[in-house]
Amino acid sequence: MVPVRYNIRSLLVRKVTTFATAIGIALVVFVFAAAQMLGEGVNRALANSGRTDTVIVLRKGSDAELSSTLDGERLNMLRSNSAVASSAPGGGVIGESVLVITAELADGSGGISNVLLRGMPADGMKFRPEARIVSGRAPSPGTNEVIVGKSISGRFEGIAPGKTFEVRRNRPLLVVGEFETGGTSYQSEVWGDLDTIRASVGRESVVSSARVRLTSASAFEGYRAAMEADKRLNLKVMREDDYFKKASEQTSGFLAGMGMVIAILFSIAAMIGAAITMNGAVANRTREIGTLRALGFSRLAILTSFMLEAIFLSLIGAAIGLLFVQLLALVSFPTMNFQTFSEIVIRFAATPAIMISSTIFAVAMGLLGGLAPAIRAARISPVEAMRG
Amino acid sequence: MATESSNGASIVTLKDVTKTFYRGKEPIHVLAGLDLDVPSGSFEALMGPSGSGKSTLLNLIAGLDRPTSGEVTVAGANLSRMSDGQLAKWRSQTIGFVFQSFNLIPVLTAAQNVELPLLLTDLGGADRKSRVATALRVVGLEDRMDHYPRQLSGGQEQRVAIARAIVNDPKIIVADEPTGDLDRKSADDVLTLMDKLNKELGKTIFMVTHDPAAAEKASVQRKLDKGALQ
Ligand SMILES: Nc1ncnc2c1ncn2[C@@H]1O[C@H](COP(=O)(O)OP(=O)(O)OP(=O)(O)O)[C@@H](O)[C@H]1O
Ligand SMILES: [Mg+2]
Repeated sequence: MVPVRYNIRSLLVRKVTTFATAIGIALVVFVFAAAQMLGEGVNRALANSGRTDTVIVLRKGSDAELSSTLDGERLNMLRSNSAVASSAPGGGVIGESVLVITAELADGSGGISNVLLRGMPADGMKFRPEARIVSGRAPSPGTNEVIVGKSISGRFEGIAPGKTFEVRRNRPLLVVGEFETGGTSYQSEVWGDLDTIRASVGRESVVSSARVRLTSASAFEGYRAAMEADKRLNLKVMREDDYFKKASEQTSGFLAGMGMVIAILFSIAAMIGAAITMNGAVANRTREIGTLRALGFSRLAILTSFMLEAIFLSLIGAAIGLLFVQLLALVSFPTMNFQTFSEIVIRFAATPAIMISSTIFAVAMGLLGGLAPAIRAARISPVEAMRG
Repeated sequence: MATESSNGASIVTLKDVTKTFYRGKEPIHVLAGLDLDVPSGSFEALMGPSGSGKSTLLNLIAGLDRPTSGEVTVAGANLSRMSDGQLAKWRSQTIGFVFQSFNLIPVLTAAQNVELPLLLTDLGGADRKSRVATALRVVGLEDRMDHYPRQLSGGQEQRVAIARAIVNDPKIIVADEPTGDLDRKSADDVLTLMDKLNKELGKTIFMVTHDPAAAEKASVQRKLDKGALQ
């Protein structure tokens, strides 16, 4: 074996090149780790939304409220079970209609985004004890009045207290107040009257989903079994917190996937950088390598030595990248929940697993980038030692 | 270090050796039907004009390269038939190298450079350390163990390189213009040292040189011209 200190010192001697290459690798490691930390952050942020004693019922085959429909017959079925807390608001069961509208951003950019509109019966707000009016007043049942969640109030044209916006031509909705729900994803919705909202899209007789309050969290399994037993009803029964967890997995998966794609694209550049650096190292040390070969070091020893050097290089990069990525733990920002279209606040969350996988990723980059130069080094003839 | 006996038996034998390089399709016949016998324990100098094939011949003797045809037998081994890996191992056990430009590894200290050939043996750390110290003492640089090559003069660098060449106790030392990059005084020091290795340690030395003063130190002078020994 060529002594390891040979490679470490060779890297340290070429400080500038080594550092520049390591920074490239550090950047990739940073992006790679950050994407996963973001995904982890989303999971943590959303895992806490939703109640354990509340159930969301959708049409089977629907993953989200948006794509689900339930008729009156099914709503009645949902009530006819002793696990339902019938003394709760709405008799423990409320059916809601959900639709997404596109609205123009109020920042003057001309951009548009989605807003989730929820039509609920009179007891809809009471059903969610965490919901409260923070300005203005609650909408009157049976009217075109709506309230807007605090997280998105003022972000869109017309969707702010005192203003109106249209879901359907000549059917303006009037915003009469703002509400909050303690930071859960509901806080990024617009709430209005069930009949007004479903009439505006011509779905008078059906709702999108139902929420059922159970007597206790432990009653869930029995209730679900009972409701899903009748295959003709085609119902899907989920605990509200599980529903949000699933939503978070979609979102975090998307963010982590995006980050991964960016990291992999960057890693190609970083790998080329590592390859160029190692190639330069090999070219500059042709006589040195020839000398080692003349002294009796095998091709394999030379190959191993230069692969190790590439790994050290990538480890320096990983260390720098992971050092800086720790700073992200101080950052938090709002983002879109892709299933419920609500805003959630994300904090980058580091875990040992993320640190380890990022380091492995860096080492893989070093190995791939360093392979061709190392092979080149191993092919150098010992005769090179003799050339002046 | 063991002393080799200078009994006159051949340690290097070349029989009808040719070496042809190709520049594109055009062959360059550097050595053509060359025969050579080097007795064990001798100190030989090889001279000749530039491009006559001196380094090519030295590379064949040292097992750095293989002949195009013919037999090269060194210290009992037929080099013409050995694989790349076998040659590497054989070199590490048989040949000590002294190069014109010293070829010390710049990022390693004098002691670490001298230790390199020992890393290919089974010797433990303590044994290696004492061998390195002995070799550096032979060349008179035991006080420069921890110096890096750039902290040494050219003459000192070449003496460290000689320590590296003898640390494995090889049978043969090959040197390609060992004094080519040195001033007269340093060159003489190096030549005196080589003479000592030959006379006191019994090493066979095969040295390529342009320097008549260097050749004079050797017991045999040979001349290569246009690929043939005169
Ligand atoms: N790998 C090679 N490929 C092609 N030609 C080569 C190669 N090595 C040596 N030669 C040619 O072989 C001839 C002899 O080269 P060699 O290096 O042995 O000469 P030399 O006697 O050592 O010369 P110098 O005194 O300048 O060192 C030269 O013409 C050289 O160009
Ligand atoms: Mg030469």
